[in-house]
Amino acid sequence: MKRMAVIGLDCADPDLIEEFLPDLPALGELIRSGTFSRLRSVDPPITVPAWMCMMTGKDPGELGVYGFRNRMDHSYEGLGVASSARFSAPAVWDVLGRRGLRSILLGIPGTYPPKPVRGLLVSGPLTPSTDADYTYPASLKGKIARWVGDYMPDVRDFRTEDKAWLIKQVHSMTERRFALARKLVSQGTWDFFAMVEMGPDRIHHGLWAHHDPAHPKHDPQSPFRDALREYYRLLDEKLAELLSDLPGGTQVLVVSDHGAQRMEGGIGINEWLIEQGYLALKEYPKKPTRMGELIRRNLVDWSRTVAWGEGGYYGRVFLNVQGREPQGIVPPERYEEVRAELAEHLAAIPDEAGRPIGTRVFRPEELYRKVQGIPPDLIVYFGDLRWRSIGTVGWGRIHFHENDIGPDDANHAPHGIFIAYPRLDKRKERSILEVKDLVLSVMGDE
Amino acid sequence: MGEGRKKVEIAEEIVRAIEEHLAELSADSVEEYVEAVLRERLLTEGFLSAYSPEEEKEVEQRLRDLGYLD
Repeated sequence: MKRMAVIGLDCADPDLIEEFLPDLPALGELIRSGTFSRLRSVDPPITVPAWMCMMTGKDPGELGVYGFRNRMDHSYEGLGVASSARFSAPAVWDVLGRRGLRSILLGIPGTYPPKPVRGLLVSGPLTPSTDADYTYPASLKGKIARWVGDYMPDVRDFRTEDKAWLIKQVHSMTERRFALARKLVSQGTWDFFAMVEMGPDRIHHGLWAHHDPAHPKHDPQSPFRDALREYYRLLDEKLAELLSDLPGGTQVLVVSDHGAQRMEGGIGINEWLIEQGYLALKEYPKKPTRMGELIRRNLVDWSRTVAWGEGGYYGRVFLNVQGREPQGIVPPERYEEVRAELAEHLAAIPDEAGRPIGTRVFRPEELYRKVQGIPPDLIVYFGDLRWRSIGTVGWGRIHFHENDIGPDDANHAPHGIFIAYPRLDKRKERSILEVKDLVLSVMGDE
Repeated sequence: MGEGRKKVEIAEEIVRAIEEHLAELSADSVEEYVEAVLRERLLTEGFLSAYSPEEEKEVEQRLRDLGYLD
């Protein structure tokens, strides 16, 4: 039986790694002596559900989890944050635990609240704060405080123009997480170690424009133009320290759940639905207001609403279907026709100069092996994810070149990284859904 | 007995089994293990919430700040 360590770097991008490689001796050595492939994420390529898709081998439809927040029922207000309770499929550590193997799990998105495992678990970025019970066993929390002080599940107050402060926060979070990882791998024997560091994602979103000359906001004189490269150097240094602590012969995987790309703008999904007559409000808000707030304040005229949307890195559109939603108006027999028409119109939304932006629109049943829970009726990648979906209403326009809640430079890209050391094979691309079976097979099937 | 805690009785054979396997169960005490298992079960059944209303609001705000929700 082989011991395995999976080191997850949320949003670590294959092209960026190749670009920075001369500055990354540890990753460079793993790549030269091992395997480096592009890892195709799930759709949507978003932290939740992507990491749990990797760890369970199930796609978002099979898990019934389509993003950080999901419809809990067919009411208009019933949205809930995806906690660990939503992930019922056995994760790789559950399978290993049944074989009597011990796992150490750190910071994996989708693991809060912590479930009992055969081993140790420190839950992921959806941990509300370190006041919560965020470890299994519960007594591990006290040890973490002694080992690394104030552990940071994630960066707080991310949406800031103070880039120097943000960089310091992300570096500090990464240093503490890797310090904890080193402590955890030295706690007795283990068979499987998996961790996820959120820092790459946070630094990409916060500072991509400073790095990418093609970004609309790029300033070649920016004092932060090397921030991404410097962060990857820090990651590489921390990775080297952790690798040196792993027992000899450990199979190492360094993986990410998705990549990153520059964000060119945003499309006001609900503004567009209003303009096109798909969404009707009783009163148009005087200031930008979240869709959830409009629903709560009973300002949506459901008797004239065909569809409404949710924003984020990708768009989600829900149809108001008779007999399904409380005040649905789309007859079930016209559902496919209306959905097809809407998909066609969404895909054709141009930029403000009338140029096509290459939007892709998906039906959940086209993407997934099975569709569980309550999926969006349409999943929308504006500009193939170079444009985000802006859900708030009250702007009086559809196109945006700044996020409605402050600066954000990057969106997600569908390919992450897969590095295996020692070498496994030389495939150029593999799927995130293959990782669980790969781990089980390398560690020795029953 | 700490604040916010109540005593319950469970079968001795269960306690003994947990005590004998505390290391494999990765728990420091019978109470710690029993509480974790019950919490998971109640969460899965939907009888217990993962977040308090304040925590959920805070997490949603963080997700909004991070750009995941809009």
